[in-house]
Amino acid sequence: MAARITEHCWGCIFLLFLLICAPLAVSATQTSDPVEVIVHSGVGIRHLSRNSLRAIFGMRLRAWQDGSPIRVFVLPDDAPLHNLFAKEKLNIFPYQLRSAWDRLIFSGTGQAPFLVNSEEEMRVRVATTPGAIGYLKRVNIDDSIQILHVE
Amino acid sequence: MLNKSVILIGSLIRLVLLLTILHPSCIKAADAQELKSLQVHGFLSQGYIKTTSTRNDVFGDSTRGRGSFDFREIGVNASYRPLTNLQFSGQLLSRQTGEDSKGGIRIDYGFVDYTAITTEAKEFGIRLGRTKNPFGFYNETRDVPFTRPSILLPQSIYFDRARNLGLASDGVQLYGESRADWGDITVQFVTGFPQVDDKSTEAAILRKNQPGDLTTRLSYLGRMIYERDGGRLRLGVSGAQVNAGYDPAARDFLSAGSIEFVPLIFSAQYNAEHWSITSEYALRYIELKNFHPLVDQSFTGESFYFQGIYRFNPAWEAVLRYDVLFTDRKDRDGSEWRAKTGLPADSRFAKDLTVGVRWNITPAIMLRGEYHRVNGTAWLSTLDNPDPAFTDQHWNLFAAQISYRF
Repeated sequence: MAARITEHCWGCIFLLFLLICAPLAVSATQTSDPVEVIVHSGVGIRHLSRNSLRAIFGMRLRAWQDGSPIRVFVLPDDAPLHNLFAKEKLNIFPYQLRSAWDRLIFSGTGQAPFLVNSEEEMRVRVATTPGAIGYLKRVNIDDSIQILHVE
Repeated sequence: MLNKSVILIGSLIRLVLLLTILHPSCIKAADAQELKSLQVHGFLSQGYIKTTSTRNDVFGDSTRGRGSFDFREIGVNASYRPLTNLQFSGQLLSRQTGEDSKGGIRIDYGFVDYTAITTEAKEFGIRLGRTKNPFGFYNETRDVPFTRPSILLPQSIYFDRARNLGLASDGVQLYGESRADWGDITVQFVTGFPQVDDKSTEAAILRKNQPGDLTTRLSYLGRMIYERDGGRLRLGVSGAQVNAGYDPAARDFLSAGSIEFVPLIFSAQYNAEHWSITSEYALRYIELKNFHPLVDQSFTGESFYFQGIYRFNPAWEAVLRYDVLFTDRKDRDGSEWRAKTGLPADSRFAKDLTVGVRWNITPAIMLRGEYHRVNGTAWLSTLDNPDPAFTDQHWNLFAAQISYRF
């Protein structure tokens, strides 16, 4: 009996060890264009802390400092730019954003961000939606939107 | 029997109709450029369970030749946020898992959420209505396949057989959040009434479906979670005092007794790019009193699991877990229980080694498979396995599940 448990435990520890030590299989495909956080031109601020940015994209901080609603726009979970944005600007991984959103959506304690299906749609929606925030490759940013600098 | 299936089919049709009406594409078409403060989401899953070299049934008749398909989860929710600090939320759930849940539609949650104070660094608010109990890492979304680490949650802590006791509360929830460079803290405190009106909870606590009914009593729950670096490290502690009474039938050998359930859970998780490690440890004090001298008892149970998840790429991940449950930590091998009651010792513990894979076919469709090697029967459903003598200590469980979300 005791031997059996010990055996189980060792098997478990060994497999966990394998999981941890397994080589980091895929390295992120870095695009040459850096990603920038963008906001609607009516949003008064130009700088934001990484922490607040995380709270915004985690759908937990819902209002700008003046009390107006924040509208969050994101690309699909499997979009390369979404992956790049999560890692570079938020310093977290896309799966963490997904599980944070799902916890809110399926317990009723929050709402999901607005989904856009292309960078062009992202640019247009952020440019035309008051209080909007999103992200784009720097080369695709024009005068219709503002860049928000992350500190 | 026929009547039952007619009702079941009827409710299924209604649910499908509701899903069709509420499907986001319809809403999108209606107000394509509008800012949707109304959101609708949902999920649908079909599972399969096969238990081998055993008489133990899980989620239906899983021991028979072709296994059990008696395992379905359907949920649809809507949330409406007319103001930045006001949200209405509700979810309907239909869950079919063998004899424990028969697939009826029930209100999973329904509440109004008002955020009284909100700044960049702080938040404080109140939720009124039926809220999911904040408990451990997984309880609030335990019926949503996409949010679970495996098809079956670690049963030592998220036991399915007395699930309603810890599922949701009808009452008041206060919540607060603090965000700082050194980490975020979220605190929730609930005062409310648990749901005890299902026979599965009754059977799990009082050993079988008794002639009388459990009655709900005011209960308390709280959880604090600390998250560092946007959730890279997550630490939590949850505690509760869940109370229920018993309303005996006219002819009942049980009197109007009471149940006190006091669980305490410590949770820890570390999230890296390709792997996550999660562990939770729980102590559960249970006291049954004023029922009958043979039924009255109090004991403290102990549960824990270690879980590793490895993500090969965004589409594929594997999970490995070792999950242990002792119904009474002073009688871990169940020998005292056997001496006292004549029931099998293995009904007082369960050690479950699980390996599983998850394949995200698309972000909306997920396929899962897993294998459990279990020693002990402590979390087996009393309704699916009415005779404790007709179970086996060592057993295997295979499960598969396909899930869709929107």
